[in-house]
Amino acid sequence: MKLVILGKGGQGVIFFSRIIAQAASKKAVSVRSTEIKGMAKKGGTVEIQMKIGEGLSGLVRRGTADMVILLSEDLIDYAKTFGSNIFMFTKEEIEKALSSVPMRYVNTFLLGIFVKKTKIFDCDDVSKILDEENKKSFLMGCNYVQFSPGNSSERGN
Amino acid sequence: MSKFYFSGNEAIAHGLIHGGVRFITGYPGTPSSEIIPAVQSLIKQFSLKAFADWSINEKVAYEIAYGACLANIKSAVTMKQVGLNVAMDPFMNSAYVGTVAGFVVISVDDPGPHSSQTEQDSRFMAMAAKIPVLDPSTVEEAYEFAQKAIELSEKFSIPVMLRSTTRISHGRAIVDIKDFESSNTIQPHFKSSKDWSKQLSRFAATPKQRLELHRLLNEKIEKIAAQNKPKLFFNGEILVLSSGAVFAYIYELIEEYGLQDKITLCKLDIPYPLSKEKFNFIEKFNRIISVEETYPVIELQLDTEGRRNGLVPKQGEITPEVCEEILEKLGLIKNRKTLQIPPLKRPSLCPGCAHRAALFSVKKIFGKKAIYAGDIGCYTLALNFEATDTVLNMGASVSFGFAFSKAFELGNKKQDVISIIGDSTFFHSGIPPLIDAVHYRVPFLLLILDNQTVAMTGNQKTLSTPHDFLGQPLKTVSIEDIVKSLGVNFIKVVDPYDFQNSLNTLKEAKEFLKKNNEPAVIVFRHLCINTKQGLQNNPKIPVKIEKELCKGCMICIKEFECPAIVFDDEEKKANIDKTLCISCGFCINVCPTKAITLI
Repeated sequence: MKLVILGKGGQGVIFFSRIIAQAASKKAVSVRSTEIKGMAKKGGTVEIQMKIGEGLSGLVRRGTADMVILLSEDLIDYAKTFGSNIFMFTKEEIEKALSSVPMRYVNTFLLGIFVKKTKIFDCDDVSKILDEENKKSFLMGCNYVQFSPGNSSERGN
Repeated sequence: MSKFYFSGNEAIAHGLIHGGVRFITGYPGTPSSEIIPAVQSLIKQFSLKAFADWSINEKVAYEIAYGACLANIKSAVTMKQVGLNVAMDPFMNSAYVGTVAGFVVISVDDPGPHSSQTEQDSRFMAMAAKIPVLDPSTVEEAYEFAQKAIELSEKFSIPVMLRSTTRISHGRAIVDIKDFESSNTIQPHFKSSKDWSKQLSRFAATPKQRLELHRLLNEKIEKIAAQNKPKLFFNGEILVLSSGAVFAYIYELIEEYGLQDKITLCKLDIPYPLSKEKFNFIEKFNRIISVEETYPVIELQLDTEGRRNGLVPKQGEITPEVCEEILEKLGLIKNRKTLQIPPLKRPSLCPGCAHRAALFSVKKIFGKKAIYAGDIGCYTLALNFEATDTVLNMGASVSFGFAFSKAFELGNKKQDVISIIGDSTFFHSGIPPLIDAVHYRVPFLLLILDNQTVAMTGNQKTLSTPHDFLGQPLKTVSIEDIVKSLGVNFIKVVDPYDFQNSLNTLKEAKEFLKKNNEPAVIVFRHLCINTKQGLQNNPKIPVKIEKELCKGCMICIKEFECPAIVFDDEEKKANIDKTLCISCGFCINVCPTKAITLI
């Protein structure tokens, strides 16, 4: 599986990707990724490309990603160069995350939404990787999907 | 054996420690900066007797680590590719003199470049110095090759380079790491060796002895080349030679497109030195092509196709897409899709960054006509708001201050010249040109933006840090004491958040420069807000925009360029982005219509 995760510096994109990688490592023999983050702290783009269970490098060729996870809406045109299956968070989901947990745990709340919706990974498996505070936020994200009407299916393509 | 999801730099750090390296120095530079912190974590974890810390610059780092290897401690030095330029003198010489204990030079290249001035190839530098170089293709190999590099160095008594690239150092993979078992004793010796007189002829060699050392170096290189074996994959009539990250991309493409019977892929773990005799088997192939980053190292040694005939692009990262393009040029694949990549937003200084405040004040006093000679660091981003006109390399801002000021003086023209340098860059290489400027009585203003950290590369320590990673006390070094000691008569220290004081000091410096033929120095000191301590201690002055006062002049956007101030195109007014604003309050000074006010 080829994933690309895109966002901005300060959004916790790298942490988000590392949790996905850890969850993936429980299912696949190999997980490889590459990070472009040199200017991340200055509002630059953070780009993580990841291959799960395939390949020798972590790089994902343009147009071949199975899924692009987009944490920053303004990068949509850039995201499309990697693949057409783009997972985005809705405004409501982002607002819910911002209003439910402190800023530093927003990424794990959103991770919960991603994991619950895409079903690529199991919520229980991911929650075992996280520390207590992140786990709480992650499970809140999972529960938000589960208990929100009309929100239970995969979307964002 | 345990599995870890490591970055290439963490893998290198573990490889060095497992290979017995106990003395590691370096200077931060993306993408190499995470190696030393990872080594420091291991030193703490296993209570190792070892030295691993940052040096003032790459030349000094190189000499210290290399000196330790001469004292029989396995050593390593880390830097980015442009840092190797700074260390070139000891790098070239150490090849001749050779080693006692193993010594590894880790130079991390940045094809692209993603965050560098050049995309030069450290393997090329290794070839110039006659130093063997290992080039890992995966994160796992970064771990393995760090150990191999030490073994090779010990076997041939020669410095060995481990060349990594952004995609390896900032790549991640699950790596099998050996359980830690190593002795914790350090046994230095130098003059105590039995064959000291023989050793002295290399440690303090005269030119005549250097000739002999060069002969010995050539012998070593020939022996290493003779033992350097290629690894072959697949079975086609076209031979593609490669090393480093590019090998992995081509391997993947051959599998994906089913080209196993079209291409034979040759992997070179050690791309220099190569022996043409050892590679005479390549003559049986229809075409022989080298695909490598970023200079033709394999290509020149084996005289193959590649960059020189235009098959491989002469610049830029060799991405999987570029490899695909090469396969298309070879007629092996058709109908490759090409995509237009939209540009990404340029990076900016952080919201609340004191560099922005300092440079805003400087522009107020010196205006747009002054020449702003910039340097390497976060403040390079002052390009965005026209407070930087040149960026060459570490320390060049001060040399350029000298150069521009002298050039205009020779032409009898008045010109304000401002040099802008950070604290760490000043220590790194800004001091020697300032000495020259004092000596030759050249008037220009040097601004030292002191945020007490190496911010751009991830907040490494500087000479102002009072303790090391183990909490042991260090002697701090004062910038203003150094500047004064050089004979600079105008030296002031200002907090750039203090707008009025900043303006007054800058005016004073301007007057001083009019009357005196000598440089003036202002240290703008404020802790980096990107550090925990810096953010905690920063003033908390929450601001809002009074919409009726905002005229939409965009001075706050264009002249100040804080990412937390955004412009509403519909409303034609500025807005504060609360998710980015750190409430530093400095922008209150910026708005000409007083629309930015306290909440």
